[in-house]
Amino acid sequence: MADLGNILLFFLFPASVFTALTALAAGYTKRRGLLEAARRGAYVAFGVTTLAVLALEYLLVTSDFSIEYVASNTNLALPMFYKVVALWAGHNGSLLLWTWIVTIFSAIVAYQNRHKNNDLMPYVIFVMAATMTFFSILSIFISNPFDTLYQDLGNTLQEYAVPDGRGLNPLLQHPAMVIHPPVLFIGYVGAVVPFAFAIAALITGNLGAGWIHTTRRWALTTWGFLAAGIVLGGKWAYVELGWGGYWAWDPVENASLLPWLTATAYLHSVMIQERKGMLKVWNMTLVIATFLLSIFGTFLTRSGVVSSVHAFANSGLGPAFAIFLTIAALFSVGLLLFRAKDLKPDEEMQSLVSRESSFLFNNLLFLLATIAVLWGTLFPVISELFTGDQITVGPPWFNNIMIPIGLALLLLTGVGPLLAWRHTSAETLKRSFGLPILGSAVFVAILYFSGVKDGWALGSFAISFFVMWTIVFEFVKGARIRSKNSGDQFFKAMYMLSRKNTRRYGGYIIHAAMVVMFIGFTGNAFNSETRAEVGEGDTFELGPYTFYANHIHHAENENYSSETLELEIRKGDRIVTLIKPEKRYYFASEQPSTEVGIYSSMREDIYAVLSGMSNDGQKVIVQVYRNPFVKMVWIGAFILVFGTLFAMLPNLRETKSGKIVQESKGVE
Amino acid sequence: MNNKIKFIVGSIVIVLAVVVLAVQGLQEDSTMSYSKSVSELHILGDRAKTLSLKVNGDLKKGSITRNNLDLDFVITEGASELQIHYIGTDPIPDTFNNEMDAEVVVSGRLADNGVFNAERIQAKCASKYEADYSSPGFEEEA
Repeated sequence: MADLGNILLFFLFPASVFTALTALAAGYTKRRGLLEAARRGAYVAFGVTTLAVLALEYLLVTSDFSIEYVASNTNLALPMFYKVVALWAGHNGSLLLWTWIVTIFSAIVAYQNRHKNNDLMPYVIFVMAATMTFFSILSIFISNPFDTLYQDLGNTLQEYAVPDGRGLNPLLQHPAMVIHPPVLFIGYVGAVVPFAFAIAALITGNLGAGWIHTTRRWALTTWGFLAAGIVLGGKWAYVELGWGGYWAWDPVENASLLPWLTATAYLHSVMIQERKGMLKVWNMTLVIATFLLSIFGTFLTRSGVVSSVHAFANSGLGPAFAIFLTIAALFSVGLLLFRAKDLKPDEEMQSLVSRESSFLFNNLLFLLATIAVLWGTLFPVISELFTGDQITVGPPWFNNIMIPIGLALLLLTGVGPLLAWRHTSAETLKRSFGLPILGSAVFVAILYFSGVKDGWALGSFAISFFVMWTIVFEFVKGARIRSKNSGDQFFKAMYMLSRKNTRRYGGYIIHAAMVVMFIGFTGNAFNSETRAEVGEGDTFELGPYTFYANHIHHAENENYSSETLELEIRKGDRIVTLIKPEKRYYFASEQPSTEVGIYSSMREDIYAVLSGMSNDGQKVIVQVYRNPFVKMVWIGAFILVFGTLFAMLPNLRETKSGKIVQESKGVE
Repeated sequence: MNNKIKFIVGSIVIVLAVVVLAVQGLQEDSTMSYSKSVSELHILGDRAKTLSLKVNGDLKKGSITRNNLDLDFVITEGASELQIHYIGTDPIPDTFNNEMDAEVVVSGRLADNGVFNAERIQAKCASKYEADYSSPGFEEEA
């Protein structure tokens, strides 16, 4: 099976090279037959990679420990579910997953456009097949998951199998970690589709809005998956790493944030191009940047350039990625410069207080955020280059910049949608903003006098209140008008209203999701914690809570042994709940692992970690965190995904006779 | 034209504000830490006491001592040793104990008495099969 897998995987290389070259020839000669061949090439590449993935799955599930990857990442006692998902637990397997997703997307794009975009498609397929070629080289020649184990017998190497594998890293044995990598990878890889269309538009000179319409759903999907992937990564860190937080401005976290920032900027600025024909070069730049940052993120995770809690060990892929990134960057920037003269704006900016300018400021802030995060992430590399000292900048540096930028962006989500295109009069401003501003001022005053004194937190709550008000008001106002005109009941009117412009109202839902998440982030200003050494029957306190150590017990199964503390949380005389922070020791990997105990309510999380045993083994050391509003972050993420899906629904349209039909024009 | 100027001025103000935040962030030295190995730290001499540091080395086996909530240990690199006193509050990583070979990164400051006060400990463990395998598999710092 390993040989079969290897052969299948090896076939991907000629398949993707063939596809790329045929596509290029199809573009040059404009012959349909060649384009058809390139399209089939994309299907073949998808086919062989799928079979290779299945072959690896077979090896994982049947525990073939002559394969290095299987032996390194699974063991016999591992539950079947984790054997299956071990496909992306290690570096080689996850690279194969990456490659597989590229081939899936190429095949889908080739199929979707089989009857249209014939001018762009040759180059679209070329760009995707070139990316595929690069990843196939990595998967086949540098990080092959089908490599077998060898032992050195003096002068010959002999294949051998170990009796049992090393096991899956305990930190990865968690549901969030199981879906986090594929979700994030889909987000990363998805960036290649808009990029391929943008490059095709630049090569062919068909610079109209065609490529933008065709890739709108792809861009949105990519964006949604990136967002979900980032939050899932945070959730995993929160539940599994046991330091009480979900975001630490770690290099790999930053790497996933970077393409999301530029993709968000793009989703906004593209509206200006569609509406006003402005920012054409800028949109191209953002699409290119998003793709390059996605590749860069993958590179950062695997190259060992910066050290991180999420990173794979140095895998020797650094130079290959550096070469690919350089070629891709030079090629796309060169093309963009070559076409720059054809990308003139159709209109000029008219007023500082307008929808257009709010979009421009939005983009400026996203750009600055991207540069800041990139700079901070690469600071160890930059500083070593110039001073010889490797200097790391910590979370306070990032917070210092990103909190103000984040709040300014949040404020814009409230202001922007209420501003008119072209110009907004002072009268309209007063009408739209008077009440919400007054409302949030009152809200902040109430908070202040009830004891919230942190300046940033007050600012954040004020902005959140303001933005939520304006969003809800948009829905209510629209529904009211519609209900009056059509006679529909209020909520039906609201539904119809949103379904008639899913992009706009889906956007509002996403904005509301961001508000909810920001409330969660702001909770960090009020975190508190304590540490105690307790034996059975001991108590300690944090805030209004008393913690009672009920019971300490030891347990064992075939996978791991564990120490568990049963910790009762009491508030006054009332027992709130019982949490069970646990320390496990996995036999196969010989690694201990922390299972945190969390009591989560809307108001706050109580988060307990068993950090060790006392020297005599009678007592345990427990660390307890009280983190307000953490749940808002996860709830916000759900709303965000819902909003993204909603924005992808086709619009409903009413015909003259009052019938409701689905619009199908202009979206893919 | 007038509007264009207004927009440009607005943008410059925003850019400058962010630059100020970035530079200001670098002035507070708690946000910047210098990455050094144990022997590099000794070469730095007294300058080391003025810096916020991240020191990496190998955990000396059996050197961990606990006294109530206090934790002390030694990290080494070749012949160089560094005594560490943990003053942080975060739980220490899973891979950090007296039985295992671990590569450790401590963040904190060097005190006048030559003891390193660590606010954070990160540990990376040497995996059991690594010596046999041609390339290391997945590793994770905790």
